Amino acid sequence: MEAFLKMENITKKFGEVSANKNINFSVAAGEVHTLLGENGAGKSTLMNILMGLYQPTAGQIYLRGEPVRIDSPSKAVKLGLGMVHQHFMLVEAMTVFENIILGVSKDHAVFIKKDRMKKEILALAARYSLDVEIDKPITEISVGAQQRVEILKALYRGAELLILDEPTAALTDLEVEGLFRIIRKLKKENKSVVFISHKMREVLEISDRITILRTGETVKTLKKEEADADGLANLMIGKELVLSDYKKVASSKEKVVSLNGVCYQKSSKHSGLNDVSLEVGKGEIVGIAGVDGNGQSQLAQLLTGVIGPESGEVFVKAERISKYAPEAFIMKNVAHIPEDRNKMGLIGNMTVTENLMLKRLKSDEISYGKGAFLRRRAMKQSAEKLKDKYDIRCASTEQETRNLSGGNQQKIILARELEENPDLLVAVHPTRGLDIGATQYVHDAMIASRDKGCGVVLISADFDEVLKLSDRIAVMFEGRIVGIYPGENPPIRDISLAMAGKVE
Amino acid sequence: MKLRNQIIKIIVPILAILLSFLIGGILIAAIGGNPKEAFLYLLKGAFGSKANVGESFVKATPLIFTGLAATFAYRCGVFNLGAEGQFVMGAVVSVYIGTTVTGLPDALLITVSLICGAITGGLWGFIPGILKIWRGLNEMIVSIMLNYVAILFMGYLYSGPLREGSVPQTAAVTAKLMRLFGLSRMHIGIVIAVVLAGIIYYFMFYTDGGFKLRAVGLNSTAAAFNGFPVNRLMILSFVISGAIAGLGGSVELHGTQYRLMSGFGQGYGFDGVAIALIGQLNPIGTVLVAYLFAVLRTGATTMQVGTGMPTSVIDIIQALVIVFAVAGSAFVNLPKVRQFIVGASFPENPLKRKKNTPDAIEKGVGES
Repeated sequence: MEAFLKMENITKKFGEVSANKNINFSVAAGEVHTLLGENGAGKSTLMNILMGLYQPTAGQIYLRGEPVRIDSPSKAVKLGLGMVHQHFMLVEAMTVFENIILGVSKDHAVFIKKDRMKKEILALAARYSLDVEIDKPITEISVGAQQRVEILKALYRGAELLILDEPTAALTDLEVEGLFRIIRKLKKENKSVVFISHKMREVLEISDRITILRTGETVKTLKKEEADADGLANLMIGKELVLSDYKKVASSKEKVVSLNGVCYQKSSKHSGLNDVSLEVGKGEIVGIAGVDGNGQSQLAQLLTGVIGPESGEVFVKAERISKYAPEAFIMKNVAHIPEDRNKMGLIGNMTVTENLMLKRLKSDEISYGKGAFLRRRAMKQSAEKLKDKYDIRCASTEQETRNLSGGNQQKIILARELEENPDLLVAVHPTRGLDIGATQYVHDAMIASRDKGCGVVLISADFDEVLKLSDRIAVMFEGRIVGIYPGENPPIRDISLAMAGKVE
Repeated sequence: MKLRNQIIKIIVPILAILLSFLIGGILIAAIGGNPKEAFLYLLKGAFGSKANVGESFVKATPLIFTGLAATFAYRCGVFNLGAEGQFVMGAVVSVYIGTTVTGLPDALLITVSLICGAITGGLWGFIPGILKIWRGLNEMIVSIMLNYVAILFMGYLYSGPLREGSVPQTAAVTAKLMRLFGLSRMHIGIVIAVVLAGIIYYFMFYTDGGFKLRAVGLNSTAAAFNGFPVNRLMILSFVISGAIAGLGGSVELHGTQYRLMSGFGQGYGFDGVAIALIGQLNPIGTVLVAYLFAVLRTGATTMQVGTGMPTSVIDIIQALVIVFAVAGSAFVNLPKVRQFIVGASFPENPLKRKKNTPDAIEKGVGES
């Protein structure tokens, strides 16, 4: 089979450091080829080279057997390459149609031939079963639909090869199924797909071949039949990965938090809470399962004081909460791993040290006179200690956190939140976007703090994660808790039915 | 990388200043002057005599205050464009106290007057702050509007109730700030300004309050999630920013102008904003840039007398400094430039950095 794309001995150096070293990678027409690797393995660099954002230091790219030089993204598009970024590049205020035709001028016409273009797009959408409402503004369509718009956009520009960068990260399980149907359709039409993902199950399901990258080098290229999850994980991180099966514990009598008939914007099915009652005991993990956008965010914000209930009561350590504010909950020793670590968890332009110290500015360890004079050196020393303890990898604790990888950013949040031995930890999507190594680390840390007596509420869209960690599992659907199940031998069928809203 | 960032923060304004002078020189040549001669006169005007040196400090003093006011607000992420109004209101209160209160020793009177000026400026700053928090009004618009209110109010006073004689101006205060070193009109106000800059620096970088304030300025959502009282801090920063400007007005009144008249404080607010930005929102940088602006202004007059070049040439250079400094800061934050800076930093210590760099590259450029 003639390769559609062949990248030969690609090397990319930034100064002294090679982000890519002699990488060989090829995709045949009609093939789905997965790039697998931890953060920093060189996947993004390789794809940026392909899309013309970087020039390789050495190596050659061939398309349809011909050597090509891709020196700009527009050249890449012209050559039939399309990329769907993890964070979509859509103009939110514009409609789907406007986004798709943005920047396209096929015949250098002065006026936009709207009707004809619309017809073309609709035909294309029908051919690939890309179901989108073409006249709606981007803000009014779901994340899954936005992704379909991105794919349609690439196809409309004549893409023969599509790069999908972590396409399932923001999708619900159902939407992932839809995406996979689209990918299969693309295959059938002889289009090539480069699929970038961390999730083993998906990778094994959709790929024809899998290439594993580690620290900028190709480790191996496998056919689908030769691959299994454990083997891939080992190749990826380069050592045996022990998938720990955590011991589940029984619920304690002593409650750290109780919700009693709590309502918040009750009528909203996607961002409200409707008569929620839930108890979390000392030293147990309660997992909240459910399709994203069924009130989980609101539950997390309520448990950390960001929002207050419209009716109902919240007790933390048997004390009724009267003031809903984050500082009040922090005073009660409630820790929070927020859902968006960049927006809510970290201050990107502050240093690692400063971010680690956010919650202890008044402590005697780092200040004189309860925060009246911050001892810079003591702060740095304390940060260095946390850096070692939580294995935060950064060039210096004086580095700004926005330059760190997701895994290291999350470790900073963990260090800050868990170091104070919280009584309650509210963790929302704690491993979203992290590689296997970092995910494992976060899981271990949560179990360790559970074993120290911390009550944990784990909210995650990753069902496997909920199953793996939870001592009890509560399912949320349209703002309600529709069922609570044991974490030991969980009735998976019942739980997934409950997540789909079918409980009788 | 932190060190590198610091160096860039210093280099950008310096380059901006050099470039502006280069273009200014071309401009002078273009209108038929001799750039070298003009700049020599400029230097002579600023440093040629003791009196001129002192005059630069006199001109720098109010600019430091309004620059610090802008810095303080910006650091907390709110935009106080009302420093001019706060400055004027501080002076208004001081002129009232200075001309009506009798029987106090000068030192005490001035102290009381400065404190009242600061409080008034703080109240004037509180208005846009509270309107922003309560009603969501745009603080920039409100604070600019309040400038007009303050200036017109001052106009009413010096042409009405507080008018002295036939000229539209108030009486002069008798309690005057101490002169320093016999350098022309240079007075102790410059010391107050510099000490204040030191205090703000300490507050900003060495107290938990300053830390929280900066955190709110950089990411208010994360600050709120971490339990910082975001709204209170924003209002606080507006009040303090206003108080700094108000104090500046009082100092200017007791130290240099002694009375209110048309044009008092004019332009200081926006100059302060520019100075704060060029000074990279650092109190110390703000002091230095304010001094530079003052030097340009003192020198400009001498240049005009000596060479016939209009002082507006200097205004143009000053404006160019602002343009280049702001453009330069934006430029070094462009992804590609940032990557170049990050990339160039690798050879420094390749062994130590090796582990993390591919990561930094991916994060720094690929995804963000």
